[in-house]
Amino acid sequence: MKPAEVSTPSDQEVLIKRSFDAPADLVWRAYTDPELMRRWLTAMPGWSMPVCEMTTDVGGKYRWRWRDDANGVEFGFTGEMLEVAPHSKIVHTQVYDPGTMGGSMGDGASIITVTFNETDGQTHVTTLIKFASKADRDAAVSTGMTDGMEMSYKQLDEVLEAVKPRTANV
Amino acid sequence: MKRDVFQAIADPTRRAIIALIALHAMTPNALAEHFDTSRQAVSKHLRILAECELVRQDQKGREIYYSLEIEKMKEIDEWISQYRKIWESRFEQLDTLLAELKHQKTRS
Repeated sequence: MKPAEVSTPSDQEVLIKRSFDAPADLVWRAYTDPELMRRWLTAMPGWSMPVCEMTTDVGGKYRWRWRDDANGVEFGFTGEMLEVAPHSKIVHTQVYDPGTMGGSMGDGASIITVTFNETDGQTHVTTLIKFASKADRDAAVSTGMTDGMEMSYKQLDEVLEAVKPRTANV
Repeated sequence: MKRDVFQAIADPTRRAIIALIALHAMTPNALAEHFDTSRQAVSKHLRILAECELVRQDQKGREIYYSLEIEKMKEIDEWISQYRKIWESRFEQLDTLLAELKHQKTRS
């Protein structure tokens, strides 16, 4: 599958697109069954996911927590399900849980919208992360490991792409 | 005010300037010819890029030539690929999981 496409539709939002070679009902299961989710939603090599609790009822809470197995440092995310449309859409809040890692991602909750669209047996997944404010986005970026982070680099990516063939010859 | 690199590249004109000076060093006047904006506007963009340490300025006679700080860009490149790796490795694990789920489904 093609690597994830990332863009920043506004200075408070980041959008990630990726397609998967599976029908929407299976992708949905991988996104909503905690045991399945734990198998792919890893943080980094060497990290485990000791807590992966979630329900897919509107108003239900979830809690994800990762641990660096080398030193026991933990961090996570918590939130609440706002909208759940089976096999097509999930909207939830997301609050950073600094655990023992520390750091801050601002005071407001981000809103995460994930959509699933199946065509010809493939499922196109989009993830929109909307930070509560631009300041929160900056806080998320400076904290380090968050979904939002990678995304914020997209514009930079575009620049690097334009520059790459030239810098390679320097 | 401290500028961050996101601000530097948030503007399309600045992205275009980076692409142009990556090719060879240019004066603000030469750069301005590529844009509909004034020379003053181009100078302002260059100042922001300079504050982010993305450009180098060399005085030659009466002209200042701007070029790209290649090392700085490479640093940023490494930085990005680190995070891209985390995100893409998640999705690759998801690919594997989905293949497994598909297999189970066809067997049952």
